[in-house]
Amino acid sequence: MMTKRRVTLTVNGEHVEPLVEANALLVNVLREELQLTGTKYCCGTGQCGGCTVLVNGEPILSCLTLAVAVDGADILTIEGVAKPDGSLDPIQEAFLDHGAVQCGFCTPGMILMAKDLLAHDPSPSEERIREHLRGNLCRCTGYHRIVKAIGSCGQ
Amino acid sequence: MNDDRFDVIGRVTRRQDGHAMVTGRQLYSSDISLPNMLQARVLRSPYPHARIAAIDTSEAERLGAVCITPEDVPRVKYNERQVSVPAKTYRDRTVLPDKVRHVGQGVVAVAARTEALADRALDALDVEFESLPAVFDPHEAMRDGAPQLHDAVLLGETVLPIERNIACYREAVEGDVARGLEEADLVVENEFTTGRAYHGQLESKAVVCRPEADGGITVWATAQSIHNTRQLLGSLFDIPLSKINVQRVPIGGSFGSSIQMNSSVAVCVALALKAQKSVKLVLTREEDMYDHCKYPSNIHLTYGVKRDGTLTAGYLKTVVDIGGHNIQAYPLLGCMAGWFVSLYRLPHLKFEGTAVYTNKAPACAMQGYGNPQVTFAVESMMDTIAEELDIDPIDVRLKNYVGLGETFWGQGPTVRSVIRSCGVEEMLLKGKAMVGWEGRGSSTSKTGRFRRGIGVGRGFHTSGTGAPTPGEVIDYSTAMVKINEDGSVDCLTALMCHGGGTLDAGAKMVAEELGVPLDRVGISPSNTRSTGYDVCTHATRGVYCGGASLLRAAQDVKKILFDFASRIIDVNPDALKVRPDTSRGQGVVCLPGAPAKRITVAEVAKTAQIKGWGSIIAVVSHRQVNCPPCFVVNFVEVEVDTATGQIRPMRAVAAVDAGTVINPDLAAGQLEGGLCRGIGLALLEDTTYKPDTGELTCGGYLTDYKVYTAQDMPSLEDLSTFFADTYEPSGPFGAKGVGEAANNATAGAVANAIYNAVGIRLTEAPITPERVLSALTRDAEQLQQGR
Repeated sequence: MMTKRRVTLTVNGEHVEPLVEANALLVNVLREELQLTGTKYCCGTGQCGGCTVLVNGEPILSCLTLAVAVDGADILTIEGVAKPDGSLDPIQEAFLDHGAVQCGFCTPGMILMAKDLLAHDPSPSEERIREHLRGNLCRCTGYHRIVKAIGSCGQ
Repeated sequence: MNDDRFDVIGRVTRRQDGHAMVTGRQLYSSDISLPNMLQARVLRSPYPHARIAAIDTSEAERLGAVCITPEDVPRVKYNERQVSVPAKTYRDRTVLPDKVRHVGQGVVAVAARTEALADRALDALDVEFESLPAVFDPHEAMRDGAPQLHDAVLLGETVLPIERNIACYREAVEGDVARGLEEADLVVENEFTTGRAYHGQLESKAVVCRPEADGGITVWATAQSIHNTRQLLGSLFDIPLSKINVQRVPIGGSFGSSIQMNSSVAVCVALALKAQKSVKLVLTREEDMYDHCKYPSNIHLTYGVKRDGTLTAGYLKTVVDIGGHNIQAYPLLGCMAGWFVSLYRLPHLKFEGTAVYTNKAPACAMQGYGNPQVTFAVESMMDTIAEELDIDPIDVRLKNYVGLGETFWGQGPTVRSVIRSCGVEEMLLKGKAMVGWEGRGSSTSKTGRFRRGIGVGRGFHTSGTGAPTPGEVIDYSTAMVKINEDGSVDCLTALMCHGGGTLDAGAKMVAEELGVPLDRVGISPSNTRSTGYDVCTHATRGVYCGGASLLRAAQDVKKILFDFASRIIDVNPDALKVRPDTSRGQGVVCLPGAPAKRITVAEVAKTAQIKGWGSIIAVVSHRQVNCPPCFVVNFVEVEVDTATGQIRPMRAVAAVDAGTVINPDLAAGQLEGGLCRGIGLALLEDTTYKPDTGELTCGGYLTDYKVYTAQDMPSLEDLSTFFADTYEPSGPFGAKGVGEAANNATAGAVANAIYNAVGIRLTEAPITPERVLSALTRDAEQLQQGR
């Protein structure tokens, strides 16, 4: 049996100290230990972006990241995007207003990528949005309304 | 787009399930966790064809794993797809096989406390395979002496011997095709292929099963039909249906991949029954890719045509490589015939389809059920005919398309009905203007490395599989609608939403009919114990068939509402109306022109409860007796790089005739997504196999399989969608479907655009850069040799 280690994380503003195995992936710790199932397991090999979360403000693929490697980090998952009072982030509102959600499975990853983009570039061009989303697959929408929704959030 | 006839139908509204999806609260099958749940893994065959000689599970069991082998599971032969009538259902598989027929087929399954332990148990299994010769090409598989995958299967209850690996054959003939071809001024023929595309739904298939104290089971599965899943599990495991509860769980994209009860569902149930603990089985992406793919096609197509462009005959012959198991290729062939004959009028026609077993992943329905494959060939040929006769391609289509008042049998020879709404001409002409058709130029006028071309494709899909007479396919839905004591409404149905907003559309129909504000109409969670039968959410039937059942239940409920209201406000129920009162957030029952005769829906429901009149509730099972075509038109502009063979989609106009559009934004989203997958089928997607090992060339990796990203699609400005202005008399509020239609015309439009760019007819999809380059080289050589 592998030795477990305690890691210290701030997840969606909450301090947590899960006990994890050395080879535990962040996606599994989030989904199974912390019951934050909004982060999706889609390919498990870093090819689709569905498991994207923000670690210290930067997007990472949680299916390729060891939980012990992000010890001490501040993590934002889809569950932490809305405000604590439950009101939605403008990106979430835009996804609903533009019909950018179909099956919803890629949506958490897409919204976190959009948050990252808008944090660095508050008014991104369409080309910039498409370039930023190139690692996030969506099989339902053809991306059209996702790009539109993110573009509408530009200042 | 707001339709004045309606309060909520046709208006852009936020989807009800959207909030859960943007906040990560939507729970899919893989998100379900239960106390003391075991994790399952499956040992899969590394061989494409092999007998299982011996299995030793003792080491795995010593590690604490629960194991199931073919010895531990029911030997019942079944077909995982349960939408056909039993007599027309081919059965060739068992829960676990005694012989594997493709790489990746499950042989032994284990369940353990953690996934890591399950993986260790998997490594500890000892399975001895006796490798058999394999066959990967359907034409080779039909030769004498080819390796035989199945000796016999069951058709209904009859034993059906299998010869030359032919799983089934289907023919359709009307008139005399030889005579029709003789009467033609021009005969054109060509051969077309499409690939074994992978569904690529973002959620890999998952299932959780909990054994219950009464000997029953509760199942959460990636599934498009909870009732068919339940019935199949009941017959496999001999459990009364009253003890099997299959929960409706949101699905992370489908595209047909879960019309059938996926093979992992029965495996998970068998493990849970043996362990007497809850078990969860989530497929890896690689496993998912070995589970199913789209039916590929190999089509030989001949048309006879008069000098003025009128078709005289059509003859389509197809061979379909179905892989190791038959997931109902028989209705597929019937539909392929239907798609072919219902696109264009053919006085004389013939269809021959042969489905052949090979040692590859089983093929199943994927958006269109043979339709994009057939339409790719047919639409390519329409352009060839136009070119040969020097007629505008749009005019050839307008001259021959099957439209208003004509008989149509899209779902196969037994499902015939008359077309009562049709926007084909409107869409072709409007799209033509929008795309700048007249300025597209001919291929001969285009030079330089990068050449652009514009192509058109049209097509359709059926809205469901309903017909005036019972056929081979089961098609009905059940819905319950009830008005609560505060005037809000519950809708209960086993219908699914795959992302297109089917359930949202159902809620809108109920809100419209009952005059209740949309935010007070809820779609209830559902399962097989609390709902009546619904065949499956497939065949573009969600809105047209499932929606119609909800509407009928709402109509019945409205009668009760008016009856109760009439007792309270003393008005003849036939004179009453109900309208939403947004200021009160309520539906109001009223007598038009009599302001005193008004009462809110809530007051009626509460009064009925207090006085003991009963609940305002209705349950309806409803079968549509038609499956009207939802027509589509695509215009696509591509740019061909003649140096690399790379093709980029630059611009597109996509239109659908969906009758009344329930939610314009979601319907447009269907068109955009369908276009993306259609371009993928045309240019990119196929699962190929290594001939020596029978393994997937892409190795189960999405990046090596390749699907389009946001960077590959036309810009926002360059992609337009619109709807035909039609009303389907048999549809709920005049609606038809959209779903599958959205991608049916695309591959043909893309091939025609390539022709318009470079003057070469490419017939093998995916039209990869390699195929483009080799065609360009061949063309240049022929030019040099003076043709």
